[in-house]
Amino acid sequence: MTRIYLDPERCIGCRSCEVACEREHGHPRISVGVVDDLAAVPVYCHQCDAAPCVAVCHTDSLRIDGEMVVFNPDLCTLCGLCAVACPFGAIELGSEIKRCDLCSGTPVCVMTCPTEALVRGDVDAITRSTRARAAGVLAARLR
Amino acid sequence: MTSRTPTVCPYCAVGCGFYITPNGVEYMQDHPVNEGSLCPKGNVAPDVLNHVERLRYPMMRTGDGWIRVSWSEALDRVAEEMPRALREKGPKALAFLGSAKCTNEENYTFQKIARLMGTNSIDNSARRCHSPTIIALRRMLGTPAMTNPISDLALSDCIFVIGSNLAENHPVVARWILRAKDRGAAVIVADPRVTPTAWLADLHLQLNPGTDIALINGMINVILGEGLEDRSFIRERTRGFEELDVSDYTPERVSSITGLSAADIVRAARLYAKAGASSIVYCMGITQHSCGTENVTACANLALICGQVGRPGTGILPLRGQNNVQGACDMGALADFYPGWRSVDDSGAIDELRRLWNARSLPLGRGLTADMMPDADLRFLYVMGEDIVNSHPAVARRRERLKRGFVVVQDIFLTDTAKLADLVLPAAAWAEKEGTFTSTERRVQWVSRAREPPGDARPDLWILSEVAARLGFDLPHDPEEVLAEINQAVPAYGGICRMNAGRRGGIIWPCPHPDHPGTPVLHTERFSTPDGRARITPVHHPAPERTSPEHPMILITGRVVLHYNSGSMTMRSEGLVKREPELHVDVHPDDAVRFGVADGDTVMIETRWGRARARAKLTPGQKRGTLFMPFHFPETNLVASELLDEKSMMPELKVAACRIWRAD
Repeated sequence: MTRIYLDPERCIGCRSCEVACEREHGHPRISVGVVDDLAAVPVYCHQCDAAPCVAVCHTDSLRIDGEMVVFNPDLCTLCGLCAVACPFGAIELGSEIKRCDLCSGTPVCVMTCPTEALVRGDVDAITRSTRARAAGVLAARLR
Repeated sequence: MTSRTPTVCPYCAVGCGFYITPNGVEYMQDHPVNEGSLCPKGNVAPDVLNHVERLRYPMMRTGDGWIRVSWSEALDRVAEEMPRALREKGPKALAFLGSAKCTNEENYTFQKIARLMGTNSIDNSARRCHSPTIIALRRMLGTPAMTNPISDLALSDCIFVIGSNLAENHPVVARWILRAKDRGAAVIVADPRVTPTAWLADLHLQLNPGTDIALINGMINVILGEGLEDRSFIRERTRGFEELDVSDYTPERVSSITGLSAADIVRAARLYAKAGASSIVYCMGITQHSCGTENVTACANLALICGQVGRPGTGILPLRGQNNVQGACDMGALADFYPGWRSVDDSGAIDELRRLWNARSLPLGRGLTADMMPDADLRFLYVMGEDIVNSHPAVARRRERLKRGFVVVQDIFLTDTAKLADLVLPAAAWAEKEGTFTSTERRVQWVSRAREPPGDARPDLWILSEVAARLGFDLPHDPEEVLAEINQAVPAYGGICRMNAGRRGGIIWPCPHPDHPGTPVLHTERFSTPDGRARITPVHHPAPERTSPEHPMILITGRVVLHYNSGSMTMRSEGLVKREPELHVDVHPDDAVRFGVADGDTVMIETRWGRARARAKLTPGQKRGTLFMPFHFPETNLVASELLDEKSMMPELKVAACRIWRAD
């Protein structure tokens, strides 16, 4: 199950992902929210397995294809239900729906992130590396 | 030129590599500094290249505007006005302002012209970012530069960040700090504000503005009191330790000065001193004070007494602001140093250059620094790639003073300084020319031409060599030829050539001969002082800027991630300016209530230097009793302090007593 994952402890709110995404697509499909200048969280499509946007789409312009949510603009009526249904606020309406499509496998947001806060990969592999890192930190502090 | 040209980011001094493509940017994942990543400014760096507002033709001022002139007319005019000023008023009537955004070869040639004309009044924007670093580290360590590469931070066990919001100003540096944290390193951040850098901290010391020396001396007090200093390092590699008396700086007294708890001061001291490898990272929060040189000195004292210099993961890492601050200084674009860090007072050292340049004589003694130039009785001022009006304190006064004498501005945009000029020369941007840039970690990288300059714009080196020819100096116009001369003039660059600087990641100086691999870590065996030992130098907490009933708050200035310096480049990048379009002032919500200010209000800020208008932004990350304004907007420098550090001539841009009120 390949996704873009966020390590919120690494995000410095620099908005590099947002600017890079805008450069590539003409409109940012990832948006960094900074809360009270105390923390930052990039908001983007999580390609949910049980995707609420797909569930509410009455024209099937959004559907699950393998590991990701795909969009067919020819079927879209711009009703906006998907944007309302998305729990992450990752879909934006304009002249067409704007949402992450994983950049054909090499997302620029991941490549440009200065702090490696955004990672693309398999959830099991990411979990394993996160555990290994946490164990390493703990071991270093116990030494 | 190919469809994909490797280049180095033109913004801050981290030295990130990327490719310029016809469509914009492609990431360079094997670059040793950034591994492909870029901050938001780097991501849109090519925006400035063919911007509609680029200067395309030389322009001469007329009574009520500008007329386009040929290169030949423009260059002839420079070559008339410069000697005329010299004839009428002598070399003191000439001044030159180089650029930390131009290449080493351009800055070398620029300062050479100034010196051949008989003046040391040549400076660059390093004066307002790291002149205290130059003075203090040269005196104490022998080399005024970052001691270790940025990637070395990943090897640190403790990273002490003081006076630097690197997560916004040098975001890629945060990558290496997080790698250290992944290994269990402790991160200490000393900053009055809760910045994104402070988010990374295990210990955030939210100290009162301008109390850095007290904090560091307090840490040294704890270290000496608990016997945590490195006695053998002090004995074998330093001098002056016996004069270091910090007995007055008990944690309790330092607590009363800094506003920190004594326990936090003790904890910071133990973390730094006990770690196997500790590094200090600092920036303009340390240097831009009237005690900037002492602040840097205090940082170096801390590193030296703990023996945290000369090994991987240790060191003192000043983060420079512009992409070629280090290089412009190495090249001698400074009022107090010739190329290769030869002091303007050292006639013996300068004599070597006199022979190399085949000059009859060269000037001695410090010339005018950047901040002195507007107030001096100048007849001729040559500004290369610097917006002195917007980047110095007292904007309005400077604007008036600069109108005296003949002013030449060579730049890529019609900046506010260029608007005051008599003659404007259109220059090529970084990716439209060739040459070397030296990053903050002494990494020298060759930049190739990726695009053609717009209109008749020309590389600065071409312009300078043409001016020089008209003045009777035969100076090379080819960057490789100039670099070959730099090999002789600057010993640390002795072996740097297009080939090794053009490799991925370039080469880190000192590189004294062509076969040398470069020197990532300085001071491993000896310091660069005459006897090889570092100089521990006592410093004391000065009287701080005080608040008063008229000015009850302290104003702090700094940067935000989406803009860069005076904004002449980032304000012309749509992706950046729309996200940060106007000047704001950060206010703590409690202070906002106290002064009747609401979020989004237009407010006035007043210091004893001036007044500015800004949009209030309420944030709990701001320390109570302080305000913060980013300096990318000209209004901020209307209110910034003009006090100077007399050792380095650095203005106290960081701290000023102020008041705030609603403007509407």
